[in-house]
Amino acid sequence: MDVGQKRTVARFSFVGSAGEYFGIWIVNILLTILTLGIYSAWAKVRRMRYFYGNTFLDRHSFEYHARPLQILVGRIVAFVLIVCYNILVNLNPIAGGIAFLGLVLAFPFLIYRGIRFHARVTSYRNVRFDFAGGYGGAFLAYVAGPFLAMVTLGILAPLASRWRYRYLFNNLRYGGRRFACGATIGEFFGVWWFPAMITIGMFVVLGPAVALLTGFSPFVPGFGQYAIIAVIYAVVLIGLVAYSVSGLFYVAGVRNVAFSATRFDGRHRLDSDLFRRRYAWIAISNLLVTVVTFGLARPWAAVRMARYTWASTALAIRGEFGTYISELKDESGVVGAEFMDFEGFDIGF
Amino acid sequence: MASDAIGDAVRGDWFAPGSSESRPASLERADGVRLLGDDGAELILGEVGGIEVSPRVGRIPRRVRFADGSVFVTLDNDGIDRLRLTPAARRNGLVHDLERFRPRLAAFVVVVALMAFAIYRYALPVMIEVAVAVTPPVVPQMIGSAAIDTLDRVLLSETELPLDRQRDLETQFAALAQFSDLGADGYNLVFRDGGPLGPNALALPDGTVILTDQLVALADDDEMILGVLAHEIGHVELQHSLRQVYRLAGMSALIMLIAGDVGEAVEELLVEGSALLSLSYSRAHESEADRRSVELMLKAGHDPLAINRFFASIREELGVADESGMLSTHPGTAERAEALEAYAAELRGRE
Repeated sequence: MDVGQKRTVARFSFVGSAGEYFGIWIVNILLTILTLGIYSAWAKVRRMRYFYGNTFLDRHSFEYHARPLQILVGRIVAFVLIVCYNILVNLNPIAGGIAFLGLVLAFPFLIYRGIRFHARVTSYRNVRFDFAGGYGGAFLAYVAGPFLAMVTLGILAPLASRWRYRYLFNNLRYGGRRFACGATIGEFFGVWWFPAMITIGMFVVLGPAVALLTGFSPFVPGFGQYAIIAVIYAVVLIGLVAYSVSGLFYVAGVRNVAFSATRFDGRHRLDSDLFRRRYAWIAISNLLVTVVTFGLARPWAAVRMARYTWASTALAIRGEFGTYISELKDESGVVGAEFMDFEGFDIGF
Repeated sequence: MASDAIGDAVRGDWFAPGSSESRPASLERADGVRLLGDDGAELILGEVGGIEVSPRVGRIPRRVRFADGSVFVTLDNDGIDRLRLTPAARRNGLVHDLERFRPRLAAFVVVVALMAFAIYRYALPVMIEVAVAVTPPVVPQMIGSAAIDTLDRVLLSETELPLDRQRDLETQFAALAQFSDLGADGYNLVFRDGGPLGPNALALPDGTVILTDQLVALADDDEMILGVLAHEIGHVELQHSLRQVYRLAGMSALIMLIAGDVGEAVEELLVEGSALLSLSYSRAHESEADRRSVELMLKAGHDPLAINRFFASIREELGVADESGMLSTHPGTAERAEALEAYAAELRGRE
């Protein structure tokens, strides 16, 4: 057995540059407008290839293999579905209710097909990934989990996170070999309590502050309705920042827990060591800089985030990486992938 | 090396078909293509045809796929381009040339900004007009009946206005509505207790006009009520609610399509921002409906400025602050009144 083999830790690295990506990004937008949207499929492939192709592990990069025409067809079908859904929902309550029910039922299907598509068009060292997840798991991870987290006001969010990461990793395949995520519910709660305290603290501090200021204001001369509005805006802003910070802390913590408890092929171990504060700082400052520059700094922001997250990710390889053989699978499910793209789901690996 | 060689040999890694195992190799063009292992072993010797080269994007590794399914990967982008393995490799270089970080990109930024503005200012309104034109009449009817169902369930309750007072107002409304483009049959006046909506009137896209008991009570005379109803007729005639629905949908669709990679948070901001922008359109809609009220009231032989008097008495009774806030959906009442006085004077002058 290979018990005695030594581990070598290989860090991921993202080597793309902001200047280079800026060119790709602006030309993508330019050609998308000039071609009335058709180019958006080609744009997506170039963007994905840029990010995958610049992500290296142990001297080899990832590759993105989706073809633009595939993406275009998926986009058109997903777009038509979303438009039809929105029309039905606005038309009348009965049609809308049926459409909503239909979407809830179709959602897990679209999700798992979308993830499978993403996995199958991704390769590393000439070997494709695959995804074996099904409908039930997707329902638990993407419908039941978020619903449970919402109705319990986030108290059961760790459970939902665990379902989601277990669904993603335990069904991920590379060269026919499995990944296994062994993160326990306790570990997820371990990264949950601090962000939860921030959120509670925010309510404890801001709630009475608002009540005091607005409650006393009628008795304070010169404290007119504009002052109240200003106070409310300030409070909303502080609340939003606190909420974002706690959310980002949680996301980073959950990623660390899930990745670090994941093994591939029973021997190589994934690892993630994001610093929560640094991660939150990068995300928030990225947003601010992007807004202030009217979007022009977006390429810089995207590259900056990719650099940090990949630099904080590693694979502990036991002995040799080994030889894996690609299993050829069809690349269906692009509609699901594009549907998720429109709806803002990020499922890149 | 043969005399007909094109470019120098390119170094990289070679993968057997479908395998993760690689070995260092170099690719050269001499008598077709030749791939040599580091130990000098000839791995592939063949024709150029049947070779696929991945398009160039930034400096990411290029992938050369041979007819037997094996793959050669190299970081030497320029070297691979010099080998000229496929015609496609040259064509794809075109987009890559555009993308290079050169001063030209600044011009692209300006062009994109101008086009984005043009789309918002000119293309979107045209798209909305087309969408409104092709919308079958059944759609506003369905929206209307759904809206009144919801309003009745959530906000409104049954009217307490005496029946003869209702008949009286209905008659006056019909006399006013016959001057509108849709005629008196295009509308249906209904009475409701406004509840939290207070003194209010609402127009639904199917021509249903809701009048609250509180508004009837607040008005000093029937002229004021008619002025408000004429304003609501304007909303229906000009199909404002349908336009609003299409504007929001169109903005979100354009943002999703064009923006591509803007990041989740920015996309959220953009969509919210466009909702705010469309509020400013609803302000424009209010002014349009105001002007329509003046026109209709004048045509029907009523006081064209009755709506102004109504807003004045609302301000008096309810003490609504007389300022135009950025986020308010209704234009500030002082501005509104002045604009309408000017418009009424202009219309009278024409007669």
